[in-house]
Amino acid sequence: MGASKIVMKPFHRGAEANLFLSTIDQWKVVVKQRISKAYRNASLDDKIRRERTLSEVSIMHDAKAAGVKVPSITGVQPETNTFSMTFVDGTLARDCLDGMSPRDATKLFEKLGAMIGLLHSGGIVHGDLTTSNIVVTLNGDPFLVDFGMARRSPDPEDRGVDLHLLQRSIVTSHLKDASPLVKALSTGYTKTAGRTIQESSWAKAREISRRGRYFAIR
Amino acid sequence: MMCLGIESTAHTFGASIVADGRIITNVNRTYRPPPGVGIHPRKASEHHVTVSEVVVSEAITSPNGRQLHPDIIAYAAGPGLGPCLRIGATVARALASFLDRPLVPVHHGVAHLDIAMSLGKARDPLAVLISGGHTAMLVHLSNRWRVYGETQDITLGNVLDMFGREAKLPPPGGRSVEDLAKKGHRLLDLPYTVKGNDVAYSGLLTAAVNALHKGAAVEDVCFSLQEIAFSMLSEAVERSIVQTRRDEVVVAGGVAANLRLREMLESVAKDHNASFYQVPVEYSGDCGAQIACSGSLAFKHGARVSNGDSCVMPRWRMDEVDVPWVPRK
Repeated sequence: MGASKIVMKPFHRGAEANLFLSTIDQWKVVVKQRISKAYRNASLDDKIRRERTLSEVSIMHDAKAAGVKVPSITGVQPETNTFSMTFVDGTLARDCLDGMSPRDATKLFEKLGAMIGLLHSGGIVHGDLTTSNIVVTLNGDPFLVDFGMARRSPDPEDRGVDLHLLQRSIVTSHLKDASPLVKALSTGYTKTAGRTIQESSWAKAREISRRGRYFAIR
Repeated sequence: MMCLGIESTAHTFGASIVADGRIITNVNRTYRPPPGVGIHPRKASEHHVTVSEVVVSEAITSPNGRQLHPDIIAYAAGPGLGPCLRIGATVARALASFLDRPLVPVHHGVAHLDIAMSLGKARDPLAVLISGGHTAMLVHLSNRWRVYGETQDITLGNVLDMFGREAKLPPPGGRSVEDLAKKGHRLLDLPYTVKGNDVAYSGLLTAAVNALHKGAAVEDVCFSLQEIAFSMLSEAVERSIVQTRRDEVVVAGGVAANLRLREMLESVAKDHNASFYQVPVEYSGDCGAQIACSGSLAFKHGARVSNGDSCVMPRWRMDEVDVPWVPRK
């Protein structure tokens, strides 16, 4: 990848990584570098950064093969916990959702549901599915980004976590009545994941939301 | 305006007078079970009955010996252990009735944040509440604290207490683990579980207990338990700061007394240019002052309950409480 030879412009500072914009010939790429955390024990820090970088790259590749819209990997440098991927032009769902008409928002969530259904039926869970990790392109297609917490898992529990997190991010960041969006999400999800996966994932999502403190006996 | 606050949600019975935002008195007695044993709710409630009279009378005596006359009586209505909550509620009802003063129910978790915010300067922070009852990241939105991330199983306080019990360390478990961790240095391979903005601790606790029983040095287990459990929380906090775009972090609750955890959370906040406020250690654990502080704020915003309608809510969720006094002016 030769990170030292290309020009990198700071693009975004995430919780665990810095993103830079760069170019490879005519291609715009994003370089993601996992940074060391001062608060964390050094050996734990090395282990977490290395494991996540390698797993992120390989899972994004698999997600793409499953038909999910994700950036394409253009290079990896495990020694520096860095990789690069194609740039997706668009807006974060968290920034554009509030300004959307109810109809557009519903349409977006149906597409998003279909996307997540594809991912899940491919045996992959995202692990951090919030509106901050969804890029909406200019023609309204959702791309999934940030697979740092993603895993290969056939467990309905893990699929439920994805759906639970997404619903909670609608409520806590946008404070919308989540139900029409959740309904659209479920419609799209069923189309690509099928009835069996749909039922087990959503049942788990409901169970997980009741696992928080002081829900148990209601 | 002078508020008498009564706390009795778990192991501590406390009473405190707060007048116009100033803590005048804060008297607390804590039930301590023997090593290896948890809090028995009935035994804790019996302890509360025994100490309630002296705690309240000390609390309504000012430092210079004058008797104080509260305008309102606030009590922790939940969440907590039912038998313990009922003692505080009964004492509060009796006082409200005898003195003919309004009675104000307070949410114990909201109160942890209220005292932390009153003593710090935070306006509209990301709140990190870590105790035996809660482990959650919260942001205030449209009148309520909203849970942005939390533990999916047991709290950080549970982890430390239950480990302390298994290892037969003297209670409170949190302090024993912290002391022993300073002497440990080998990081054991224990499970690290962050799910999005949530954490899950039960697997870590089981693995730590197993490591201990298989002969690992208790100091190393304590060290690893702290490093991994706190790193998990710090990571979830870091994600929450970035996603909620808050520029203030407030840390409250009993486990906030742990210096290693404070250090880690402060480092996370600094790293994202967020102001960091931690509740002073003497007010981090359960205390009457938090209830008096929260009760004063709630009363100003119309909260009160008649003696007949007053009750305790052992499983009162934090995001069910209206908190119109946040963001602070």
